[in-house]
Amino acid sequence: MGLIVATKAFCKLLFDKNLSNAFNEWAQSGGVSTTTPKIETKPAQKPAATPAKPIRSDAISLLAALQREARLVDIVKEPLANFSDEQVGAAARDVLTNTGKVLDRIFDLQPLTDQEDGSSIETPADFDTGRYNLTGNVSGEAPYRGKLAHHGWEAKQCQLPNWTGSKSSAKVVAPIEIEL
Amino acid sequence: MTAQYIIGIDLGTTNNVLAYADLNADSALIELLQIPQLVAAGTLDKRTSLPSFVYLATESESAEGAFDLPWATGRSYVVGEWARKRSAEAPDRTVVAAKSWLCHPRVDRRQPVLPAGASDEVKKISPVTASKYYLAHLIAAWEQQFPDAKIADQKVVLTVPASFDPVARELTREAALAAGLPADFILLEEPQAALYAWLTAQGDDWRKQLKAGESVLVCDIGGGTTDLTLVRVQDESGDLVLERAAVGDHLLVGGDNMDLTLAHSVAGKFAEQGTNLNPWQSVSLWHSCRSAKEALLAEGGDDTYKVSVLGRGSKLIGGTVSVDVNRSEAADLLLNGFLPNCQKSDRPERQPASGFQELGLAYESDPRITRHVAQFVETHCTVENSSPQWILFNGGVFKATGFRDRLLNVLRGWTSSETGSSDEESNVQSLSGVHDLDHAVATGACHYGWSKQNGGLRIRGGVAASYYVGIESAGLAIPGAPRPLKALCVVPFGMEEGSEAEVPGGEIGLVTGQPATFRFFVSNTRKEDQPGTMLNSWTEEELSETDPLEATLNLTLEDGETTSPESCVPVRFESRITELGMFELWCIGTGGEGEWKLEFSVRES
Repeated sequence: MGLIVATKAFCKLLFDKNLSNAFNEWAQSGGVSTTTPKIETKPAQKPAATPAKPIRSDAISLLAALQREARLVDIVKEPLANFSDEQVGAAARDVLTNTGKVLDRIFDLQPLTDQEDGSSIETPADFDTGRYNLTGNVSGEAPYRGKLAHHGWEAKQCQLPNWTGSKSSAKVVAPIEIEL
Repeated sequence: MTAQYIIGIDLGTTNNVLAYADLNADSALIELLQIPQLVAAGTLDKRTSLPSFVYLATESESAEGAFDLPWATGRSYVVGEWARKRSAEAPDRTVVAAKSWLCHPRVDRRQPVLPAGASDEVKKISPVTASKYYLAHLIAAWEQQFPDAKIADQKVVLTVPASFDPVARELTREAALAAGLPADFILLEEPQAALYAWLTAQGDDWRKQLKAGESVLVCDIGGGTTDLTLVRVQDESGDLVLERAAVGDHLLVGGDNMDLTLAHSVAGKFAEQGTNLNPWQSVSLWHSCRSAKEALLAEGGDDTYKVSVLGRGSKLIGGTVSVDVNRSEAADLLLNGFLPNCQKSDRPERQPASGFQELGLAYESDPRITRHVAQFVETHCTVENSSPQWILFNGGVFKATGFRDRLLNVLRGWTSSETGSSDEESNVQSLSGVHDLDHAVATGACHYGWSKQNGGLRIRGGVAASYYVGIESAGLAIPGAPRPLKALCVVPFGMEEGSEAEVPGGEIGLVTGQPATFRFFVSNTRKEDQPGTMLNSWTEEELSETDPLEATLNLTLEDGETTSPESCVPVRFESRITELGMFELWCIGTGGEGEWKLEFSVRES
C-alpha cells in the first residue's frame, strides 16, 4: 500500500502544524515573505466592490476543497487496521484520482525539469537551494553536475476558492450532513 | 461606445460557457472566461463552465448570506456548480434542463413551473427566468473581470440549438434581454458554431479538405439533446462557399441518457451483491459511469473498469462498494442502445402516447440516434441521392472514440450499399483536426462574431424551416364540425436575415379591440413553398404546430380615442427576419390603417 503511505505522508507534510502556521502567516502577509519558499502566485483579480474578509485561512480552504471533491479527510481519518488492502485500494483509487484533479486545478503542478529520471543534469552557476537539493558527495562550487533523482514539482499558480461564509463556520472543513 | 470585445456564449442544457476575444487584436485570440461561482456554502471558486442548474433555497438556508456573490447579496438561490451538486442532494428544489423546457409547447414558459413536481412550499421559477439567471451570472462574472467593458457595449453572439423553433428563440431572446445582453446580440445555431470552430482551427486548409458539391453532417450530441445539421459546400464563381442546407428535429436524447443507462445497469450489479444504493450514492454512481463510459469506449481503452461508490457517511472505506464493468457490456448497452447499426431506410419508432402522459419533458420515445440520423439523411440528402461525405462530431459524448467509430461505420454502410464500393477512402470521413468538444460552441460563436466584424468566412443559411399560419377557411359552417384549416406559408425556407416578404393572397379581415389569434406551424421538410402558398392538407411529419401568434388591433383615431370595438380591418401579412435572426410577423392594414406585430402566445392552452 505504497500509495496510502505516500498519501498520509503528503497530508502530514501539508497539514503539519508548524508548516501550516507558517503557511498561514505567509498567506496573511499577502504572500510576500523572505523565509518561505517562493511560489509564484498569480493574484486572482479581486472585485473592487467587495472588501476582502480574511477570516478563513487558505489552508482550511484547501483542506475543505480536498474533502469536498475527493473526501481526502474522510479517508485519512479512518483507521486502516480494520480493512483489507483490497478494500482500502478500492476507496483510495477514487480519492487519489480526485485529489489529483483538485491539486492540478488549484496549483497547476508541473515538474521543475522535463528531463528523464537518471539523466545527467547540471545546476546553473547562480545556484538556488530552493530549486535544487544535492545529495551524495557534495563538494566544490556550482555549477554541480549529477544524475537526476527526482524532477521536483512547482505550483504554477495558487488559485484557491474565496471564502465568504460566516465566522462560526470559518474552520469547518466539512459540514454536518442531515437527511430529512 | 464602440465594442472592445466579441463575446460568444454557449447557453447549454447542462453547461454554460463564455468565450471572448479582443476585437482590436490583429487576429482572433480566443479565451474562456473563468466564471466565479459557489461550489459550497460560502465558497467561491472559478470554473470555465457554469452548470445550468438553479437551487432554490429555503429561507433559513439563505438567511446567513450563504448564497452571496461578489456582485449580489441576500440571494435565495444558487446557480452553477453548487446547484448541480444540490440537484442530487435536494432534487425537489433544483431546476434542471430549463433549456429543454423552453421548447415545450404545452406549458406556459413564462409561468413558474420549475422544478417540475416540486411542492407548493418551493417558490418555483419559469424556464425563461432560469435562462435569465444563467445569463445574468455570466454577465456579472464578465463585468467583474472587465469593469471597463460593460457587456451592453460589446458584440455578443448567443447560441441556440438549430432545431429551436421561432418561439423558443423568442423566449431565449427575452431571457437574454432581461439578463442585460445588448439588444443587438446575435443568435447563432450551435452546430454552425461548432463548424466555425473547426474551420478556424484549420485556417485556409479547409479548402483542401472540402470540395464543391460535398456536404458535411454536423452531429452534436450534448448532455440532453441531439442536434443535426447539414452544410453544403458550393462553388460560387470559383470560390468555395458554405451553406446550411437543413436542420433536424429537436431530439431530447443525449449523453446524460447514456450515463444513466449504464448507471442503471451497474446499480443492478450492486443489487446482486446485496448492496442497495441510496439516492446520494446513485448520483455519485452516475458520475462514475460517465468516467467508465469514457474509459471503456476510448481507443485502446481498458477491458474492464472498476466502478466504486464511496461510503456515504464518514466511514468511507468500509462503506465503499465496487463492481467491474466490462468493455463488451458497456459497448452493447451504449453503442447498441443508442447508436445501433441500422439501414438508411430505418425510422425511429413512435410509441403511442398514453392518454395520461405526465406533464414532463417529451423525451424521445426512440433513443436510437442512428435511426434519427437515417431519417434526417434520407429526408434531406435527396439531391444526389447520397449520404454526406463528411461528418463533424461535437458534444462531450464523442470524447469516447467508440461512439465516433460507430456512427462513422453506420454512415459508411449506407454509402457502400448504394455505390457497391467498399473503398474507405471514397467513403464518409470525419473532419479531423483538434476539436475541443466541450468549448467548441462558445469559441465558434466567438469566431463567427469576429469574422462578422473583421471579415472572414461565413456559413450562409437563413431561416432553417418554413413557417405557416393557420387560416380557417370561409364557407358554410357545419354544426359540430370545425371549419377546415388551411396553412398559409409566410416565411420560405432559407429566408435571409435582414429581409422581409410580403405574403400575397392572404388578405383577411380582422376585428379590432379583441385579440386575433393564428395557429402557427413549422416545417423542416417543405423547402419549395413560397410566401402565399396555401396548403389544404398536410401530414403530421411535414408540419408541426407550435404556439399560436396573437395581436390585438387597436385603431387610434385622429382625436386620440380608440375606435369602438368590433370594427373590421382588412389586413395582409408581412414577415420579416431581422438582422439578428429573429422572426417577426406583421399585419398591415391594406387601407393604411396601421401595422400590428403578432406576438407568440405561450399561455397554456
